[in-house]
Amino acid sequence: MTAARSPGVAAPGSSEQESAPSHEQAQATDAFAWVATVDHKRIGIMYLLTALFFFAIGGVEALLIRLQLAQPNSHLLTPDTYDQIFTMHGTTMIFLVVMPTLVGFANYLVPLMIGARDMAFPRLNALSYWLFPFGGLLLHFSLLAGGAPSAGWFSYAPLSETPYSSTAGTDYWVLAILVLGIGSVGGAINIIATVVTLRAPGLTIRRLPLFVWMTFVTAILIILALPVLNAALVMLLVDRQLNAHFFQAYGGGSAMLWEHLFWTFGHPEGYIMALPAFGMISEIIPVFSRKPIFGYGFVAASTVAIAILSFGVWAHHMFAAGMGHRADLAFAISSMAIAIPTGVKIFNWIATMWGGALRLTTSMLFAIAFLLEFVIGGLSGITFAAAPIDWQVTDTYYLVAHFHYVLFGGTAFAIFAAIYYWFPKMSGRLLDERWGRAHFWLTVVGFNLTFFVQHFLGIMGMPRRVFTYPDLPGWGALNMVSTVGAFIMALSTLVFAANLLISWRKGAAAGDNPWDAWTLEWATTSPPHPHNFERVPPVRGRRPLWDLAHPSSSQPGKAEASLGDVTIERIPLDKSVVAVTAFIVSEASFFVILILAYVFFNVSTKVSAAALDVRATGAFTVCLLASSLTLHLGERSLHRGSQAAFRAWLIVTLTLGLVFLGGQAHEYSSLLQHGVSASSSLFASTFFTLTGFHGLHVALGLVALGILAGLAFAGGIRAGSARAVKAVGLYWHFVDVVWIVVFSIVYVRGIL
Amino acid sequence: MTTEELLLSAWQPGFVVPAACVIALGAYGVRFRSRISGRAAFFVLAVSLFFLALASPIGVLARGYLFSAHMLQHLLLMLAVPPLLLLGLPREKDTPPPPRDRVGSAASWLAGVGAMWIWHARTLCNAAAENSAVQSVQTVSLVVMGLAFWRPILSPRRSSRIEPLTAVAYLFTACIACTILGIIVTLSPVEVCSAYMHPADTLGALPLLREGWGMSCKADQELGGLMMWVPACFVYAAAILATLGRYYADEGVSIHAVGGAK
Repeated sequence: MTAARSPGVAAPGSSEQESAPSHEQAQATDAFAWVATVDHKRIGIMYLLTALFFFAIGGVEALLIRLQLAQPNSHLLTPDTYDQIFTMHGTTMIFLVVMPTLVGFANYLVPLMIGARDMAFPRLNALSYWLFPFGGLLLHFSLLAGGAPSAGWFSYAPLSETPYSSTAGTDYWVLAILVLGIGSVGGAINIIATVVTLRAPGLTIRRLPLFVWMTFVTAILIILALPVLNAALVMLLVDRQLNAHFFQAYGGGSAMLWEHLFWTFGHPEGYIMALPAFGMISEIIPVFSRKPIFGYGFVAASTVAIAILSFGVWAHHMFAAGMGHRADLAFAISSMAIAIPTGVKIFNWIATMWGGALRLTTSMLFAIAFLLEFVIGGLSGITFAAAPIDWQVTDTYYLVAHFHYVLFGGTAFAIFAAIYYWFPKMSGRLLDERWGRAHFWLTVVGFNLTFFVQHFLGIMGMPRRVFTYPDLPGWGALNMVSTVGAFIMALSTLVFAANLLISWRKGAAAGDNPWDAWTLEWATTSPPHPHNFERVPPVRGRRPLWDLAHPSSSQPGKAEASLGDVTIERIPLDKSVVAVTAFIVSEASFFVILILAYVFFNVSTKVSAAALDVRATGAFTVCLLASSLTLHLGERSLHRGSQAAFRAWLIVTLTLGLVFLGGQAHEYSSLLQHGVSASSSLFASTFFTLTGFHGLHVALGLVALGILAGLAFAGGIRAGSARAVKAVGLYWHFVDVVWIVVFSIVYVRGIL
Repeated sequence: MTTEELLLSAWQPGFVVPAACVIALGAYGVRFRSRISGRAAFFVLAVSLFFLALASPIGVLARGYLFSAHMLQHLLLMLAVPPLLLLGLPREKDTPPPPRDRVGSAASWLAGVGAMWIWHARTLCNAAAENSAVQSVQTVSLVVMGLAFWRPILSPRRSSRIEPLTAVAYLFTACIACTILGIIVTLSPVEVCSAYMHPADTLGALPLLREGWGMSCKADQELGGLMMWVPACFVYAAAILATLGRYYADEGVSIHAVGGAK
């Protein structure tokens, strides 16, 4: 208690003397400083600006689509160009706009909101960012390499297979999404490690700002869901590049498998794009209602329920794919159930506003509009949970209307609210409210004009993904309304961009805390200086700055109890261990999918293992398992302080790992000599993919062990890098455990 | 045979199951006679579900007729009976928290998830469907391993529960393991449990099941897999919500933090 009230704690207003360095930082226009930065704030801003750039590209693509559809029987675009444009529009908006924008906000805000100096791994953070423009570049490079991808953002097989998509567009699509996926997983691991290990004293998990909590849950969804997509993508790539047939019926493959894998990722992806938006709304509405959030516990806990249920409902995207009535029924019920935790959140936000002193800033206007638009999108979503309605309107403009209400009316409105809310923190200047209101009303009018009428078009039967439509009664007029709406939205975006530019240069000075908000990011200067805080205010509740301003009413009894009760031993978790654990979880998710694909294709054919030399591989397996033991012994000797023994054990481990890889290379070459290649049968495709990726991970582990060996020989492992030894060790054991599973399933006959 | 006839006639309580239920209820009454409260309802519910799972048509059909009935029984015995039993026990006084027992909770987790998986290995699944002795072992092991799994979450003594956020991770991962098994069973191109392909039709119920209910072998297995995939996850999700609800309601009373303060 005394510690909390000690004079060493600075009040948020005392930041005058810190404005000098922040000014300096704002003036640092040296481009190289931005390229080389590892500051989470600059990286966050770069994410947002790059996403804004891609938003412009995706928006122009949307306008082209709407121009083509403005009139019936239009031939402005050829069918093939139209396919390319809607594929690029979807892919760009999801992977290059919405996700990076949310990651950008997480990057900028999470360390500030938890009172940390930076992310847990600043350099990993920079890598994750740079993978994003690189992925975007790869995707767009396809335009120079024979044409953009044209199989839709979900690349349904077999349309995405070589016979039907023969240009390199789909290959670039696969590579770009892989690169972006790896970047997202890296970013998510960083967020998890940051939230778990770098919170300010007193900021327990249950006092976290809801934006941080929801971003944290989203990060967990990312490390589970993105690797599923990555696994499906590598299978598609093996199909396209090595002539395998995972997803082609003629070789025994299954196009349904692609749909399952894609939506195993795709449905959680919907929540990956929605939960951070919920978090933004949960920060903004309370501040502009002057009330704490209603039902913090429910909002936070239901987020976890949504996350877990999102893995149990994906098949509702496949009602029309012919799964059978039982599956349809199960997923209809579960999909309706997941609407409950989401729906109740709406009431939490309304109850927060109820009786509050509302301040209708542009940010708050967008937040309120979010509630309305998101409810429309949510309700049309529930109609899809009823399988018969889904059969009627799936793949029509009703669906297009639905997901735009969720993604634009929901997520994008929340992002606009967040930009108006946090821009002052990032720039030190307020966004102009008059321009803001113009932006808001143009967006609302344009958005609803564009997409509301599409509900009717869909019910009338207008199919999506078709480049034009016949001149049926009403269709032309409704489509024209939609196109006009789209251009109003384009105008609103220009207004928004103008507001950003003008306010960045000439906006009114914001001060530290322009909205009189309560979370820690407002306790420092705007923009914050490179190390964020001089001193982090004490945290004794969910609204630290409010507690600071009202010392008398902050329930001292309760706070005392909370501080006096810290008898439970806290185990300070090490950030490397947290990060490598999160990484292992994501890798496990990747391998689970490859293993399931192997089992799925080989369970009914008993020939699989006949071609394999079980005894030889068994011997190599023993080597790999022994290497886990030797590494463990090495760690123990390091613990005892014996560097020499550690070096010796490390060399033994490296050798055993190399022997295993050599064995695998030998096995591959003899198989290839006997004419067994990735394209010869489904067994061979699944075998090479699964064992090949395992081998790749062994190689990666060997590189990490090699680096440790280099460190050990260069000057010994010091206390700091001992944690790295532990982290690499965990990873190495994981790779071995995966091999035990792979070996049992692939080589031990009769286990399937 | 009609559905009503089946539901009315296919009750085979035997001797052991009712006796076990009566003994459990009696022991509960004697042991906790001074502390009986509303919680006893959970215990009675647990015992009734146990009885239903084994003696009712669910249990009868699970013995060789329907894979989906087996799955329903399996889920009742692991995901309904054990947590309800634990909820039914009167709360006990807190003792000082014991040292962290990571191995113990990992073992509990493995017991819960392992029991799900092992009993669906082809040989064991067939044996349990055909041999009543194996089935008894299965029943007992499911309840016991279920109790082991749920104890760290719902133990009557607060100090022997794991921390709420660890509990969330514990339940979340168990749910995913369960989902994966459900997916395998649902989408498997081959039968998981061949014993259910050709049941010995002692009740004369097979025509009703196959034609009346439309339960072909494939449909039966698919339904079983879907039960494990979808509703099972709801149990874990509900437990997560309850755990987090309690955790957030406690704000300011005690601090369970992972890592946290530097």
